[in-house]
Amino acid sequence: MARGTSPLETMPVSRFARQTRWSLIVLTGAMLAFLYLPIAFLILFSFEDAATPGLPITGLTLHWYQVLASDSAIQSALLTSIEVAVVVTIIASIVGTMVAFPLVRRGVRAPGLLRLGFTLPIMIPGFLIGIGLLIFFRQGLHPLIDVQLGLYTVVAGHLVFTIPFVVLIVASRLQGFDRRLEWAAADLGAGPWRTLRHIVLPLIAPAILAGALLCVTLSIDEFVITFFLIGPQQTLPLYIYTQIKFGVTPEVNAIATVILLVSLLAVTLGSILLTSSRRLRRRRAE
Amino acid sequence: MVTNQPWPGRPADSDLAEPVPAIELRHATKRYGEAVALDDVSMVIQPGEFFCLLGPSGCGKTTTLNLIGGFIPLTSGDLLIEGHTVNDLPPHKRNVNTVFQSYALFPHMTVAENVAFGLRMEKLSKADIAQRTREYLELVGLSGLAGRLPAQMSGGQQQRVALARALAKRPAVLLLDEPLGALDLKLRKQMQTELARIHRQVGTTFVFVTHDQEEALSMATQIAIMSNGTVLQQGSPREVYDRPANRFVADFVGDTNFLAGTVRRDGGQAVFDVGSAVVDVQGDAEAGPATLMIRPEFLALRQGDATDGPRGLTARVVNVAFLGNHTRITVSTAAGEMVVVRPHGTRDSTADTQRELGEEVCVWWRTENAALIRE
Ligand SMILES: Nc1ncnc2c1ncn2[C@@H]1O[C@H](COP(=O)(O)OP(=O)(O)OP(=O)(O)O)[C@@H](O)[C@H]1O
Ligand SMILES: [Mg+2]
Repeated sequence: MARGTSPLETMPVSRFARQTRWSLIVLTGAMLAFLYLPIAFLILFSFEDAATPGLPITGLTLHWYQVLASDSAIQSALLTSIEVAVVVTIIASIVGTMVAFPLVRRGVRAPGLLRLGFTLPIMIPGFLIGIGLLIFFRQGLHPLIDVQLGLYTVVAGHLVFTIPFVVLIVASRLQGFDRRLEWAAADLGAGPWRTLRHIVLPLIAPAILAGALLCVTLSIDEFVITFFLIGPQQTLPLYIYTQIKFGVTPEVNAIATVILLVSLLAVTLGSILLTSSRRLRRRRAE
Repeated sequence: MVTNQPWPGRPADSDLAEPVPAIELRHATKRYGEAVALDDVSMVIQPGEFFCLLGPSGCGKTTTLNLIGGFIPLTSGDLLIEGHTVNDLPPHKRNVNTVFQSYALFPHMTVAENVAFGLRMEKLSKADIAQRTREYLELVGLSGLAGRLPAQMSGGQQQRVALARALAKRPAVLLLDEPLGALDLKLRKQMQTELARIHRQVGTTFVFVTHDQEEALSMATQIAIMSNGTVLQQGSPREVYDRPANRFVADFVGDTNFLAGTVRRDGGQAVFDVGSAVVDVQGDAEAGPATLMIRPEFLALRQGDATDGPRGLTARVVNVAFLGNHTRITVSTAAGEMVVVRPHGTRDSTADTQRELGEEVCVWWRTENAALIRE
C-alpha cells in the first residue's frame, strides 16, 4: 500500500507522481540559482583582490570601491543616468497617470484600441524605437527645427517606453476603483478637484509609486535606445559598455553592486513609506 | 448654474402653515436609452418625514435616490429640494446626504477622518470639526472606534460610520439606500430601532429605500410603493396596509388572500359570488366583477356545520404551521387556498390553532375587514 497518510497523497494520480514532484522541485531550485547566482558572483567579485576576477577568490578587499570613489568619469556617467532617470520618472508618472483616466473611465469611443496603443511600445524592440526616434529627430523634424542629439532626446526615448508602464499600472488600479467613493465624496461636498486630491490620488498612490519606481529602474539601465539617441554625454550603461571592451575590471562589479543596493533600498523605502504613512495617520486620529 | 426659484409654490399671500416640501418630484422621468427607469413620477416628501420607498428589485428605488442625490441627471421633469429647483445642481452643492448601500467609506481614512471629511469640505474650523465628529460618532455609538480603519470594522459598524458621516453634514434630507440590506437578521432589527431613534433625535427628513415591506411598515411615517418606475400608492403604513390602492400593493405589503368573483345586488344587500358560494360584502358595493381582499389575520375558523355569524366558505384544513407566537393555517376552499393566521393567547384563536389536518371547517370574516378591489 501507499505510505502517505493523507488520502490526497495516496490518490494514484500517476506512477511517476513522486518523481515528477521531485524533478519540479529541483527545476525550481535551478531556476532560482540561475536568476540569482550571477548577481551573487557580481557582488562577490566586487570584493575580489585580483585585477582579473575569477574563482577561486584570492582575497577580499574594498580596493575597487576606493577606485570607484575617485573615478570621476564613472561618477559623471552615473550622475547623467540619474539626471535622465529623475526627469523621465517625473514626466512619465504625471503624464502616465493622466492618460490612465480616459483609458478606464467611459467617454472614450474605443477603449480597447486605446489600451492596445499604449501597450504596444512595451513590445516593440528597443532598437526600433531608437532608430525610429533618431530618424524622426534628425530627418522628420529637420525642416522645422534642428534637433541636436543629447540628454533631451534620450529622455524622449525613455518616455516612449516608460509611459506605457505607468499607464498600464495606474489604469489597472483605477479599473478596480470603486466609483461610489467619488459619489460619496461629491455627496459630502467635495468638488471634482478636491475629490481627486483627497480620495482618488491617495488611493491610487501605490500604483503611481510602483510605476515611478519601475521608471527609475527601466531608465537607469536602458541601453539600446540611449545608444541611438545620445549626444556627446555618456550614461552609466554606455560607459560600462565602453569600459568592458578593455576587459571587465572589478570596479564595474563594484558600481553594479552599489546600484543594486540603492535600487533595493529605494523599493523597500517606497513600500515602507506607503504603509507607515497610513499607520501614522491612524495613530494621529486616536 | 442653477436657476434658484425663490420659494416656489409658496406665494406671499398663501397659507403660511403649509410647509415647503423637503423633496418634490414633478413628472420626473429617467430613461437609460430605451429603458425607462422612472416614468413620470410626481411625489412630495414633507420635512421631518421618515419616508420609505418600497418596491421589488428593479422598480426604480435607487434611481430615485440617485436623482435626488444628484449623481444622475433627470431625463425630463423637475426636482425640488426645499422648494428650490435643483435639476442641474451638482451633488456637492446639494443639501442632501446619502448613506450608500455599500457604505462607500473611504478606505484610506480612519473612522473619525471619514466623518470629518464632509465638514472639512465645508471649511469649518478645526475645533468645530473635532467637536462635531465626536458628537455624531457618539450619536451612532462608535466613540471608542474613532481611530480604526473601515477595513477593521464589522458590517454593522461600517454602516454606523456611513450614517454618522452623512448626518454630521446636518443635511435637509438624508437618503438611505437599503442601508440594512447587508446585515444579518438580528443586527438588522437592532439597527431598525436605532435608526428610528436617530431619526427622532435629529429630526432630519429620511428617505429610506427598502424592498422589505416589514421594515418599511415598522419604520416609516410615509410609504411610497413603487413598481416598474411608477409610484402606485403613497400613504402612511396603516393606509397602505388597510386600504391598498390595487392588487399589487395589497400583495406586496403584507400577506393577503384574494378571492376573484362578482358583486351582485340581492335586494338592498350587496353580496359576492365566489364560485358556487356566496358571501356578504359591505352594503354600498357596486355590482360587477371584482376581487375581494382579506388579510390572513382577519380570518377565523369555526366548525363546518356551525351557522352563527356571517356567511363563510366551506374549507378543508391542508396545513398547520406552528410559528411560535402565531399559527399559520392553510385551508382549501372552492375559491382556492386561503391562509389564516391566528395569534396565540386569546381563547378563540387558540382553539383555531388546534385544528386537525383534513378537518372540515368554515372560514369566515367580518365584512368590514374585507376590501373590494376593482382592476
Ligand atoms: N446605468 C443604467 N443603465 C441602464 N439601465 C439601468 C441603469 N441603472 C438602472 N437601470 C435600470 O433601471 C431600472 C431601475 O433600477 P434601480 O437600480 O433604480 O432599481 P431598484 O429599485 O433600486 O432595484 P434593487 O432593489 O434591485 O436595487 C432597472 O430596470 C435597471 O435595469
Ligand atoms: Mg437599488
